[in-house]
Amino acid sequence: MRSSLADAAERHLDDVYRYVLYLTRDPHAAEDLVAETFERALRLWHRFDPARGSECTWLCQIARTAALDHLRAEDRRRRREARYANLADTTSELEPETLSPWLRQALASLSAADREVIVLRVILDLGPTDAGRVLGISPSACTTRLSRALQRLEEKVGSQLVA
Amino acid sequence: MSPDLVTALRAETPSASGDLRQRVAAITATTPPTRRFTLRRLLPVAVPVAAGLSLAVALAVGLNTAIKPPTGDEGSTGSAVAREVAPPAQSEAEKRPMPLGSAGADDATASQQRAAAPTPSAGRAQDYRATLTLLVDSTSDLSTTTQKALRTARRLGGYVVSVDYETPQPTDGVANVRLRIPVSRVQAAIVEFSGLGRILAQNTQIADLQQGLDQLTRQIRALEQLAAGTRGAERRRVLDQIAALRNQRAETRRQAAFATVDLNLTTHEPEEVAPPAGRFDRALSDAVGILVAELVIVAYALIVASPLLILLLAAFFGSRAYRRHADQRLLERA
Repeated sequence: MRSSLADAAERHLDDVYRYVLYLTRDPHAAEDLVAETFERALRLWHRFDPARGSECTWLCQIARTAALDHLRAEDRRRRREARYANLADTTSELEPETLSPWLRQALASLSAADREVIVLRVILDLGPTDAGRVLGISPSACTTRLSRALQRLEEKVGSQLVA
Repeated sequence: MSPDLVTALRAETPSASGDLRQRVAAITATTPPTRRFTLRRLLPVAVPVAAGLSLAVALAVGLNTAIKPPTGDEGSTGSAVAREVAPPAQSEAEKRPMPLGSAGADDATASQQRAAAPTPSAGRAQDYRATLTLLVDSTSDLSTTTQKALRTARRLGGYVVSVDYETPQPTDGVANVRLRIPVSRVQAAIVEFSGLGRILAQNTQIADLQQGLDQLTRQIRALEQLAAGTRGAERRRVLDQIAALRNQRAETRRQAAFATVDLNLTTHEPEEVAPPAGRFDRALSDAVGILVAELVIVAYALIVASPLLILLLAAFFGSRAYRRHADQRLLERA
């Protein structure tokens, strides 16, 4: 049954926030993107069809579009600044208090693509079908991508613990 | 995958701040903007409306045709022209070729039926034209019948204007004969000709020439009176005019003295003419015809536009694939 967007926001705000935060690694940008996500969701709420996916999946799809727009803009900005001012990467990282240092460092060493599949499958606990729908890939491809991402994360965590 | 790692990941899940919760609550509490009129919303309405309109047009055309009475053979008949088109003979007696020399009750009956052509007026000059289309059995009968027709015309005091005899195939042939028959005997001629084969069509046209003759006579008399009162060159000019008018009058009288009979003999069996359709059948036929025409137009438009549509679809899917690939590369870098 279809509920209101306010109810959906109440239930899935943390999920959307975690997803965007893992994707961008920037808490301030994540908050802005979450707000933008719900603004877009308000405009598109009439299109939401529960038969085609859960509320969380639908909101994550919108959040991914907003996050990709943000990442594209950030990428252009970084390249422009690197070209003209030879500045270092100014991407901020997750706030120290949000994650353990070892996990934060390990996640920072992964690509956004790996972090994205980890947060969808492990943190938000979406199934391969729903996660694949968010990522625009098949469930089997999603499973494969998760397996490789976790393998890389384990390697990073293991090497940090050894160090 | 290590269970400890999953447990660690799930244990350290950041939550949205209170400030963000208030922002989102404020957003979701607002009224959603009014929905715009987009193509996606237009299509589900436009397609049934277009289909309904085309169906309505087809029904309207079909009903309009059904209401109108069927238009018959509207021959244009002037004041001085009478036209009669006889239907093909239907009775078995008429279908059988009748020998010319035969006599008896059957022949008399058939002759009465055959003599359905209007009789030329005895007291008036008329241009009488008759056309008979007859079916004969074979090409050998075609030759014999043509000879009989020519002999009949000569016997009745007429003559042959032209004969066009053609047998493109051994079993198929046509003979078109134009005859001039004295008007006083044209009825008898038509009766005899109609016995040469099965009548497929008969057409008679009578145009009155008497008014023209009377007019010429009045002009001649007036000029004769004028000639009596003139002398010299003027008189010669008037007399020339009188001579020309007399020639014209004589030509008209010769034309009126003989009737033109076109005799078309054929071995080709005419195709069965379908009975006229009823109102419902005509309405249905016209409605279906309109629908077919609309479908043809739509199919034509699709065929013409299909290369462009394919290009557009290819561009759409290509750009989407490229965007996905670019997004993936961006995520790999980020």
